[in-house]
Amino acid sequence: MPEITLAEALNQTLKEQMRKDDRIVVLGEDIGKRGGVFLITEGLIDEFGPERVINTPLSEAAIFGVACGMAIYGLKPIAEVQFFDFAFGGFDQIVSQIAKIRYRSGGQFKAPLIIRGPVAGGIRGGMYHSQSPESYYIHTAGLKVIVPAFPYDAKGLLISAIKADDPIIFMEPKTLYRTIKQEVPEGEYTVPIGEAKVLREGDDVLFISYGAMVHRALQAAEQLYKENISAEVIDLRTLLPLDIQTILKSVRKIGRVIIIHEAPKTLGFGAEIAALIAEKAIDYLKGPILRVTGQDTPFPLVHDQYYLPTLKRIINAAKYLINY
Amino acid sequence: MVEKQIILPDIGEGISEGEIIRWLVKEGDQIKQFQPIVEVLTVKVNVEIPSPFTGKIKKILAKEKEVVKVGSPIAIVEVEGVAEEKPKVEEKKPETLVSASQKVTEQVPAKPSAEILATPAVRRLARELGVDLSLVKGTGPGGRITEEDVKRFAEEKKKLEVVKVAIPKEKEERIPVTGIRRMIAEKMSLAHNKAAMVTHMDEADVTELVRIREYLKEEAEKLGIKLTYLPFIIKAAILALKKYPKFNAAIDDEKKELVIKKYYNIGIAVATDQGLIVPVIKDADSKSLFELAKEIEVLSEKARQGKLSIDEVTGSSFSITNIGPIGGTFATPILNYPDVAILGVMKIKKKPWIVKDKIEIRDIMTLVLTFDHRVIDGAEAALFTNEIISILENPYRLLAT
Amino acid sequence: MSYFQILNERGEPNEVLLKTVDLRNEDLYKFYKYMLTARILDSWMLRLQRMGKVALHGPNEGQEAIGAGTGYAARPEDWFFPSYRQISLLITRGVKISDILNRWMANKYDVMKGHEFNLYGFKDFHIVTGTTPIAVHIPSAVGFAHAAKIRKEKIVVLVYFGDGATSKGDFHEAINWAGVFKLPVFFVCENNQYAISQHVSRQTASETLAIKGVAYGVKSMRVDGNDVLAVYKSAKEAIESARNYEPVFVEYLTYRLGAHTTADDPRRYRSDEEVNYWRTKEPLIRLKNFLISQGIMTESEEKSLRQELEATIEEEVKKAVEIPPPPIEVIFEDVYSDMPWHLKEQMETVVKEYKEEQGE
Repeated sequence: MPEITLAEALNQTLKEQMRKDDRIVVLGEDIGKRGGVFLITEGLIDEFGPERVINTPLSEAAIFGVACGMAIYGLKPIAEVQFFDFAFGGFDQIVSQIAKIRYRSGGQFKAPLIIRGPVAGGIRGGMYHSQSPESYYIHTAGLKVIVPAFPYDAKGLLISAIKADDPIIFMEPKTLYRTIKQEVPEGEYTVPIGEAKVLREGDDVLFISYGAMVHRALQAAEQLYKENISAEVIDLRTLLPLDIQTILKSVRKIGRVIIIHEAPKTLGFGAEIAALIAEKAIDYLKGPILRVTGQDTPFPLVHDQYYLPTLKRIINAAKYLINY
Repeated sequence: MVEKQIILPDIGEGISEGEIIRWLVKEGDQIKQFQPIVEVLTVKVNVEIPSPFTGKIKKILAKEKEVVKVGSPIAIVEVEGVAEEKPKVEEKKPETLVSASQKVTEQVPAKPSAEILATPAVRRLARELGVDLSLVKGTGPGGRITEEDVKRFAEEKKKLEVVKVAIPKEKEERIPVTGIRRMIAEKMSLAHNKAAMVTHMDEADVTELVRIREYLKEEAEKLGIKLTYLPFIIKAAILALKKYPKFNAAIDDEKKELVIKKYYNIGIAVATDQGLIVPVIKDADSKSLFELAKEIEVLSEKARQGKLSIDEVTGSSFSITNIGPIGGTFATPILNYPDVAILGVMKIKKKPWIVKDKIEIRDIMTLVLTFDHRVIDGAEAALFTNEIISILENPYRLLAT
Repeated sequence: MSYFQILNERGEPNEVLLKTVDLRNEDLYKFYKYMLTARILDSWMLRLQRMGKVALHGPNEGQEAIGAGTGYAARPEDWFFPSYRQISLLITRGVKISDILNRWMANKYDVMKGHEFNLYGFKDFHIVTGTTPIAVHIPSAVGFAHAAKIRKEKIVVLVYFGDGATSKGDFHEAINWAGVFKLPVFFVCENNQYAISQHVSRQTASETLAIKGVAYGVKSMRVDGNDVLAVYKSAKEAIESARNYEPVFVEYLTYRLGAHTTADDPRRYRSDEEVNYWRTKEPLIRLKNFLISQGIMTESEEKSLRQELEATIEEEVKKAVEIPPPPIEVIFEDVYSDMPWHLKEQMETVVKEYKEEQGE
């Protein structure tokens, strides 16, 4: 089986699915001949034509709103936002229209669409090409939020998102587009939405993470192993709905929890996970629930590596809990 | 016809009260459902409120210029129809900030212990092992109690328990309190709990009585009857009870009444293997000395064999307990609750006694009367006892009644 | 500033233009009936709001001709994206009065399960639920039309909004998109001259609202929105054009005779004289005059129609008022296609609390 990158996996998925399902329409800025700024949609317009691969005007609100109208009609639109940092221009469409139309209409109308695009930092992208704004979407009832960390998961989750009957925010960690390769089967398979994965088992400390930081957590686990500390790593994969059972199972076994994400600390998703763990498994905690996160500042251009959770910080957190 | 209230409705936008500007109807007016009846000024708008009912305005409750809160009644309307069973709760209840929306884990609330440092996992372990954290010394950082500390403590505690538990097995025997013993126990408890028991004690010079009994004993034996002092005491008691009826009574604690009996059912306490049982001689006042003696014998035997019926152990109005045969100088018998008095009789002993200013050896019987001080005073008890003593000391008085 | 009109304020027709309108007497009668129904329902909604039965209502008073004219001109396969002031559109398209009342009162039979006020969506009538934030629904309307075009389904999407919406970004992005992709959209702009308290002269420096459509390469018109014949004729043209992938933007001139909503007191920002002035130009009066002068309807027929409608609506109101609210579970329904565990957990707690307090 060929090993491909996350970007290639997404591209392959779009091609395979658009061949199979003529309801799928892809729209976004520069996704046509340009193939998208990260080339996720490369080759689509040649195969499927400009009717189904729509190069749009510069209008996030229109992109999301039109996608909503298409979804109400019965198509399956996959809207690309060039960077999730730019999605705020159409945030009202997402929060007021897309997230609420099923509820508002009493179930008569729905918007099962996908808004996908790059998130997260570490590429010297500066303030507006590095944000991790998942909290805004997780906090909005009516949306489901997915963040894959591997090519295999990205394809499986995107196919699940296409089959889903709800609006999906599909966030792709841009540092992972081309830096990891994995065996990805051709043809259709799914990874269930709402299911986390234990990537590595351990007994001493638990890392819960998603997106690019999953790989950093795995790195930290490797290093700790050399010092005889065994770390378990959970990749959440879906943020909402959260796979609480997988989390609790590990927490009860281990009792030392560290949540790692790029998004700023205050009201980052780690806060919600920590609260849920404290609510449902407090008797199993051998120490406080720690979060290693981005800083509570806009994303800086310089020193971005220090803004983000460093390996050192993660390892220190683990050792702190071990010695608690 | 039914009366219904018209309330100031919730017209939204966070409006919580309004000022009555002008009533468009007056008391006595017939109104139709949806007809505007009053003009109200709110912080946002001037509004006309329509009536929710068709009927007649019985009473206007809010005056013009009065400020009324949303949900308060402003008028009463007489409406056709039957009264509703339950008023619909339409308004939202005021929110409480402490509204938990999630399930609480089965955590047992820990004792408030600011001094004890231990993680939740350690606390749970302590609970499971039955370890009191306030007794454990923590060896962790900052004096924190670790898992090892708890486990160690539990081990040592177990060792002590093992030692303790071993001994009682040999030095104690457990006998369950069941059956009649238990009933007696409960009855004793009950008497003690309910009554204010006091015992009056005195001695009677029964030398004459002894003589009379000696004489009559042979007569009784010819009839196959064993004659003890008890029948005499019963007869003396009955005479005294007739003079002091208050002692022939029971207390109804529920109704708080003293039930004075007009019959004379004398309970006589009998010692059995099972414990003290009190069979009852019904209408003892109508029985002769020998009849009493016979009945005492029969009942006592039945008691010892456990063959008494319910009827034979209930319905006493006064009880006598013969502590005498075994010994002792004084005693404080417990009431046969709910009876208010019980007479205890001790063994007759020869004692030096003053008779007409001279010391003589006489037969002395100690009598003890336990009574319920809630309804009987010490003076009354003394008088009653004196009466019995007087009869026992002059048994010829029995002939005169 | 010119605009298209067939009937003047007094109901006198422009005879030349009148001939171009292909309406029979029964159509004209229906216009009147629909608009009058909307007018009566409107005043009931206000009354019911003052009784606490309807949470909020934005009256349609004075604007009835637009919903009636455009609604009548559209075909059964067409779709509607209203905002929140289109009661006459609902009536014209055939939504039952009882369903409208149940919706407004958010009771057990409310098609929207009591989830919001002052909005409506009726899938069977091709009416898509609007949004409260202004202009947010317009891109969806355009998207719906875009999907229809991809699918080669020859429908037209009519999207309704007011003068204030034309200042909003979503409006501009949407109409721009419709122009670029040549979509079958009919942009129905009801210029009732007020966005709550902001007069349209302070809403934009543009000479008219119609030229905003022109700016995006979209065919635009200005029409007297209180003249139902002009509305109908312009709508018919606009719809045909849109069906052939030429989107149209029409600015309908009208006046909001009532308050913005039941929470508004318009006396704070406009005079009674102004309102009374515009009342003389309102759509029902001029159509009535026209019908009577043309011998299509008599005074007494009008009166009995009015009485009949009043009685019917009052009957329906009395029924609707007795219907209880929806069950407590609706709070948690239709958030997603399924119910994730965290909603189930929350629902359990709330339902239990509710049942205890209601003594069930």
